Amino acid sequence: MATDQHSVELVDDDVVKPFARAAVLAALMGAAVFVGSIPIPFSPIPISLGVIVVYLAGLYLGPYWGAFSLLLYLTAGAVGLPIFAERASGLGVLVGNSAGYLWSYPTAALLIGAVVHRLSEDGDPADLSRPVLVVTLLAALTVIYLLGAAWLGYVLELSTVKAIEIGVVPFIPGDLIKIAAVVAIVEAERIAT
Amino acid sequence: MLTYEPDESLAHRLDPRAKLAVQIGFAATALAHTTPRALIAFSALTAVAMATARLSLRRTLVSYRLALVVLALAPLLAGVTVGPPWFDRSAAVASGLASYRVLLILLVSAAYVRSTPVRDSRAAIQRTIPGKPGQLLGVGVGLVFRFLPVLRGDLRTIREAMAARLGTERGVVDRASTIGMLGVARAFDRADRLSLALRARCFAWNPTLPALAFSRVDYPVLGLAVILAVSAFY
Repeated sequence: MATDQHSVELVDDDVVKPFARAAVLAALMGAAVFVGSIPIPFSPIPISLGVIVVYLAGLYLGPYWGAFSLLLYLTAGAVGLPIFAERASGLGVLVGNSAGYLWSYPTAALLIGAVVHRLSEDGDPADLSRPVLVVTLLAALTVIYLLGAAWLGYVLELSTVKAIEIGVVPFIPGDLIKIAAVVAIVEAERIAT
Repeated sequence: MLTYEPDESLAHRLDPRAKLAVQIGFAATALAHTTPRALIAFSALTAVAMATARLSLRRTLVSYRLALVVLALAPLLAGVTVGPPWFDRSAAVASGLASYRVLLILLVSAAYVRSTPVRDSRAAIQRTIPGKPGQLLGVGVGLVFRFLPVLRGDLRTIREAMAARLGTERGVVDRASTIGMLGVARAFDRADRLSLALRARCFAWNPTLPALAFSRVDYPVLGLAVILAVSAFY
């Protein structure tokens, strides 16, 4: 065992709480792939909880811890926890066809967290007005689509139009429903910041 | 489901850092080359990686089924054109070769997953990434591993409770927001109890890590990783 012989350097209290929340939220993101999804009418792709957790990480953990939480999710999946879509895992997924979406998650959480941090004094997303919240979430979704489709097109050598056809269009109805769900969650004010 | 399985294979005896280095090297060079000749070499290398981890091809393909659908669909879609000639063969072939290398990258990383316990990966992260970010990522991976089954149970309980109250008859936005809200509220409750427990147990920046040491078999593997990474530029 490589025991550190120097004095113990405790982690500060103001780091422990957000760190624990970030770690547990990363686990929730992973747990979401196990519990099935909600079918929606007229769409082949059902709703999974995953991206909802991305938005909530940005909203409730702020820019840095929100992004950290999702980096943790990516790291845990890369080293072998079966927490990527359809219980996949491995470093290969982080450079594979869906890598753009996965790497966009920390970026999206950072963006959402930055807006909350700027507009609310105590970092409470309920302080945001509904239009601001919706625009912020749509901007984050745009980042996810942009990075996701760009990488999909690059790594599978598809044209821009084809990458959008395969990697964006089928997901739009579900993603809009998820944004509506997140707005409802924030306005219910039941999650303590 | 692809996950760690105890075994006595060669890959199980390697240091996780050497295995991570090979995967990064392989991914770098595979992303840089899509010629048929390069892909034959990559295929051979993938076969070796899978054999050293005693990985079953069929089971691995099943666990990557979602990616396989996209990888199979992409070349077909790439070839379809609006108007004559209706199918562009060269575009389909280019996309097919690109898809195939992604499959190889996934298979190589599957060999790591089957042969490396999370505890070893955690130690590799904490030793390789310097400073506090490395510590937090390492401890965090351990916590995600620990809390995954707990939160799975929470989410399942929430869904069963909703179904028992005819929640499945409600609108989709309502269902998604209820699951999301209760899921995160419960997760944060658990996190706040966890942070109290961590503080009570003197959660420190310099914990005791499991022992990791390079052995003689690791050096050729590290050498291979360097060769692969350099070959990405040629």
